[in-house]
Amino acid sequence: MITKDHSIAVPRPLGTAVERKRAFWSRHRREVLGGIVLLSPALLILTGLVIYPFVYAIWLSFSDKMVGTVAHFVGLKNFRYVITWPQFTAALYNTGVFTVVAVMCKFVLGMAVALVLNQQIRGRNFFRAFLLLPWVMPAFVVYLVWRWMYDPLQGLLNYAMLDLGLIQQPIAFLSTKETAMPSVIIAHVWRSFPFYAISFLAGMQTIPLELYEAAQVDGSSRWQQFRYITLPSLYHIIGVVVLLTTIWTANAFEPIYLLTGGGPSDATTVYTMLVYVMGMVNLRLGEAAAVSVLFLPLLIGLVLVVTGLLQRRNDNA
Amino acid sequence: MVHQPSGMTRRQFIATAALTSGAAAFGAFVAPALGQQPKLVYWAYQFLRSSDEARVNFAQEWAAKNKVEMQITLVPWKEFMTKITAAIQAQATPDIVESGGVELRALGQLLDVTDVYEKLEKEHGGWLGSSSLYMREPDGHVHHILYGLAGAVVIARKDLLAQAGFQKPPETWEEVLTQAKKAQQIPRVYGIGQPVSNQTDSNIWEIVMRGYGARLADEQGKKVVLGDYKREVWAFLDYFMEVWNAGVLPPGVTTWDNTMNNSTYQSGKAVFVWNAITISLWLQENNPDLLPKTAHYAFPAGPKGRVWDVGYASRSILKYTKYPDICKQFLLDSMDVKKMDQELSVSQWAPVLKSYLPFEVWNRTDYMKGLIELATKGNPEGYPDVFNDAWREQNTHTTISRLLQRLVVDKWDRDKAFAETLEVLNKIYGKYA
Repeated sequence: MITKDHSIAVPRPLGTAVERKRAFWSRHRREVLGGIVLLSPALLILTGLVIYPFVYAIWLSFSDKMVGTVAHFVGLKNFRYVITWPQFTAALYNTGVFTVVAVMCKFVLGMAVALVLNQQIRGRNFFRAFLLLPWVMPAFVVYLVWRWMYDPLQGLLNYAMLDLGLIQQPIAFLSTKETAMPSVIIAHVWRSFPFYAISFLAGMQTIPLELYEAAQVDGSSRWQQFRYITLPSLYHIIGVVVLLTTIWTANAFEPIYLLTGGGPSDATTVYTMLVYVMGMVNLRLGEAAAVSVLFLPLLIGLVLVVTGLLQRRNDNA
Repeated sequence: MVHQPSGMTRRQFIATAALTSGAAAFGAFVAPALGQQPKLVYWAYQFLRSSDEARVNFAQEWAAKNKVEMQITLVPWKEFMTKITAAIQAQATPDIVESGGVELRALGQLLDVTDVYEKLEKEHGGWLGSSSLYMREPDGHVHHILYGLAGAVVIARKDLLAQAGFQKPPETWEEVLTQAKKAQQIPRVYGIGQPVSNQTDSNIWEIVMRGYGARLADEQGKKVVLGDYKREVWAFLDYFMEVWNAGVLPPGVTTWDNTMNNSTYQSGKAVFVWNAITISLWLQENNPDLLPKTAHYAFPAGPKGRVWDVGYASRSILKYTKYPDICKQFLLDSMDVKKMDQELSVSQWAPVLKSYLPFEVWNRTDYMKGLIELATKGNPEGYPDVFNDAWREQNTHTTISRLLQRLVVDKWDRDKAFAETLEVLNKIYGKYA
């Protein structure tokens, strides 16, 4: 190429500074960088609120951290200590029983109530709103009321049963080994089942009525309609609700703390009670973190079982 | 266009601007800070309303008088450790607290207040009873200042006991059981309203056990020796099983919380409870009919002597405070004789300083008289064991109450339950050895 001054313009060889800059800011790179910039707030939040506390809790479990002191690495010492702690096995067993039984009861009760409230009954809207009452009340209030109802000296249940002649002696519902856990589960189910009922009810209202009409024409029974239309249609809602509440129930602290304090003996001691006593009462955060970390496989196991069951059902469908 | 030079060069302009900004910043931030009052955060112990109000009112008046901004928060004992734990971890601690003196001292969180301790000792003619034992550490340092002693007394329905033919207070634990069995009127009134649960009020049973001669650890508080006291423990367990089998404990005691013995007595459903005099102060305001029927006795003795634990209430300063001298002055002024005369007349505390003994309040009622007895005759918590971190941890674990629950709830045999108790104690004491 000849320029105005008749000199020959030599094309700039590739690799000069300008070219390199252009190559660096290629479209692909710009997109990648833009993506990183857009993702960074979410990543920062995730790191700060989820990953850091999680990793820190694991680090604590390997340390001798007490409140206000500098943590030192102690290896598996905390794990050895808590595994051989007399209440640990009981806590493991009780957490499993409490979670599985409570989730099952909440599911059945929630489904039953949702089915009733999905019918054309008088005052349906009132009952739907009323249903939420246990769920919206503060847990503290709910469990203290239940505690009073169960009380053998001044409680409503014993008064009523004694008056009706159903029992001769008051029953200490929360204080015998046989009745303590069922009593705690009943109170917890009462407080928590509305979440199931409302979620299932919301799902039921999205099921087309034509499906039921067609089933009726084909002569299917109520049970068959429930089994082959309602349940499969609620499948995804059931999955989310059961998964969430399994985690919530396994981590429940208030019902045990407020109703029994883990007693009588260790009949209702769940892992959150152990964590509370070790971390908050004895101020030994390392031991408390070790209990939490040891229970992590149980929680993950429960979640995997639930998701596995749901996945299998999904594949079959 | 002709450029009109201004009267200021660029350098002059920048210098002027910088000076102006500096002055503005000083005006906006620094000057108010210089004139600002010191701000103290005070976490007061919340329990008995009249006592809480007296301390809060004093703090407010003191703050106004000393030109200090005081932020006061009432914190129930049960919530204190949770809150202070979070505050320390978040590095947002209060300046002065009224709970957890021993626990926070062990964690190295408190300011040394030995000078305050010595000044008070000199000005008030000395400390009473076990007070100094709670404050003075082996190296002579002091990190918290006691303002009250407290402990359980035997609170009893003297009307029901009189009906059953008992005019004198029980001298021994055996007598308590005898009187309880005869005076109770099941199912309306039970003999002994005391928890056997996982809550700290159940530690009364450990005090009873020490009255039977058992102790948990050696003189240094390092090595568990309970295994050497099997005979004494067995004698205590015999007594407890007699109590349990006699049906004098109300149904449900194995899950009672720390309020249940109070509410059971206050509602007239127990002959005996062992509690602080808060029950009587509550009755004074809320159930005046029951108060004249109520007697207050010293703790009974076991076969090996009387053990009567005295607890404490104290103030301490967190070491992170920006105003250590002002906080120390508050601690000193809080112990003023005139102020304490008013405060102790509406509180549940026994006196800690000798200058408080002449107060008129101690002659007012029999339960206030009992507080003087408690202050002078009571022993530090855990006696004859050493009140240290290991003892405190086994205490919050309610180790002896759990031993009892293994027998009556889980139906374990004694040897198995005792072996578990020894294992737990060894694990706890082993951490602090």
